[in-house]
Amino acid sequence: MAHVEQGKLPTKGKPWHPILHQGFNHKIDLVLPDECYELVKQKLVERRAPPVYYRVVMTLGQILDGLFFNEYIKRGNILMLSEGRKTVENVFSLREGLLTMYLDKETYERAGLVGKPHGAKGGRGVKPRWIVSYQLRDPCMLHGKKGFDRLTYACKNVLNQPLTWLFCDLSPTPANPDPLQQYAPVKFTSNPGLHPALQVEMPTLTIPSEILTHGNRPDLEDFATELYEWFSLVRLGSPRVAANDDIDTYLSRYRVPDDAGPTTKSKVCKLTWQGFLTADWVRGLLIDVLATLPSRTWFSLSATSFSQGMTGDGSEVAFLRPPNSAGQYLMWEIKGQDA
Amino acid sequence: MAQPPSTTKSLLARAHSPDSASRIFDDKIQYRSFYLRPSSPPPPDAREARRKARRDRALTRSKQKPAPLSARARRRLGLYDLPRDRQRYALYEPLLGLWQGYVRELLGNELYTGGQAAAAKLSAGEMHGAEVEVVRSSCPSRVGIRGIVVKDARFVFEIVTPRDRVKVVPKEGTMFRVEVLLEDPPELRGEGQNQGQQGREGQEQKMPESAVPGDDATTTRTSRPRKFVFEILGDQFLHRGADRANKKFKTHFLKNV
Repeated sequence: MAHVEQGKLPTKGKPWHPILHQGFNHKIDLVLPDECYELVKQKLVERRAPPVYYRVVMTLGQILDGLFFNEYIKRGNILMLSEGRKTVENVFSLREGLLTMYLDKETYERAGLVGKPHGAKGGRGVKPRWIVSYQLRDPCMLHGKKGFDRLTYACKNVLNQPLTWLFCDLSPTPANPDPLQQYAPVKFTSNPGLHPALQVEMPTLTIPSEILTHGNRPDLEDFATELYEWFSLVRLGSPRVAANDDIDTYLSRYRVPDDAGPTTKSKVCKLTWQGFLTADWVRGLLIDVLATLPSRTWFSLSATSFSQGMTGDGSEVAFLRPPNSAGQYLMWEIKGQDA
Repeated sequence: MAQPPSTTKSLLARAHSPDSASRIFDDKIQYRSFYLRPSSPPPPDAREARRKARRDRALTRSKQKPAPLSARARRRLGLYDLPRDRQRYALYEPLLGLWQGYVRELLGNELYTGGQAAAAKLSAGEMHGAEVEVVRSSCPSRVGIRGIVVKDARFVFEIVTPRDRVKVVPKEGTMFRVEVLLEDPPELRGEGQNQGQQGREGQEQKMPESAVPGDDATTTRTSRPRKFVFEILGDQFLHRGADRANKKFKTHFLKNV
């Protein structure tokens, strides 16, 4: 992992690119050894302002209209997501000025906008769905221009139902007067949930050197998968990873993985943020954690996106820095079914 | 003098009395033509199938009345040309008014009730002079085209738009919405009626839906014009107007609607 400078924010290369790719994050979990809890609590929780987001009911036409459009879309930087599942309902999302609409066949045909097919190819007896995207920051996206007028025609006639949106403003200075207030938004603040001093049975977190020297990919995948499973159980607060767990093997066959090395009983702490969180915020959090913690301690950061498919699973990005290995990390990218 | 014994007659004699057997033979069997090349069994190979298809198509085309013009005749007669000075929307607005009167007369009471009966009458009705709007199409650029129909061909509508352009809109994969203004004597109507009804053609029976007039809500109910709105499914309308008059539309389940 390349060195991170405090002034310039990294965008290219891993691990930054997958983190930025996942634009809409729902839950962020940070798992650390308990010794760092006070340090992290002071630096990350008390010094940083908790992220704020709003829930508002608007139609798409109101977003493309008037002061809201000029202030937030043309000049500012916002993130918006409408309610629904991508494969079942019509979902709209707005990120960095790019409006993406996931429409079903009838709505797409009625809207008269050009789009691309979405989902599995081939008929299979199921009606295909469509994606339509517009870059609203383009200079040609103004009222009165032909392409934009087609979009407004569609918003007036076809996409004219009020939808529930989640809204997050990324610009550092709030707009004044705020065009959002006329739609009566509900404000939410994502205060972190703090869970110190969890007694767990921890596997060995360092990657075994034989795997690295021999370049043994399947073994590395096994090791990484087991580790990911353990971290997921810790994040869920499962009693199966607790230090004093003695459930009958008939009910649960889970064992903390000890192929790579012996398990230890230790204390970890967990910080969780839940809400409508931006990729920039997650990246900033990762940089702060890297800067705050001493370089020999391990930590794991994972960001889950909203579940927008029919199956209810979302995509996730998970990052682990093993102990005593500065500059090395493990990264998991889990994609949902319709990502 | 004696007729040779006929197998047919002996078969008939088994089932019927002698009088009815001879009557049936005389009326129904004796002068019936016997095809040497029957339509079934199906043609044995692809070549025969193509030949048969070509022959059937030629037969149906020769039966079309009025017979369609050949391309040369069409060009020479110039019947379908629309010169630039005649491509003005204002010229066809009186035709639109005429058409609205025609439709009100055609539908009569079904204007207020909608449903299958209205759909049956409209499917045989004339579309020249109607104001249509393309409302749904598999081709995105067609959506939103509005205007008066000046030509109702077999596969396309030629439409004059309010901006004085003639647009040729293929019917395939396209749905057209037509609105008819109702006569509105408010004192007879009362408050309980729907705003207007919507019928659909060539489709499985659906409950008539109320139309949305699209005017702003501040106008009062009596001043807002009430409309009868219906949608034409272009896929099912791929016939000339003359052919449509005699065609019986059956209700089918349509997968792509």
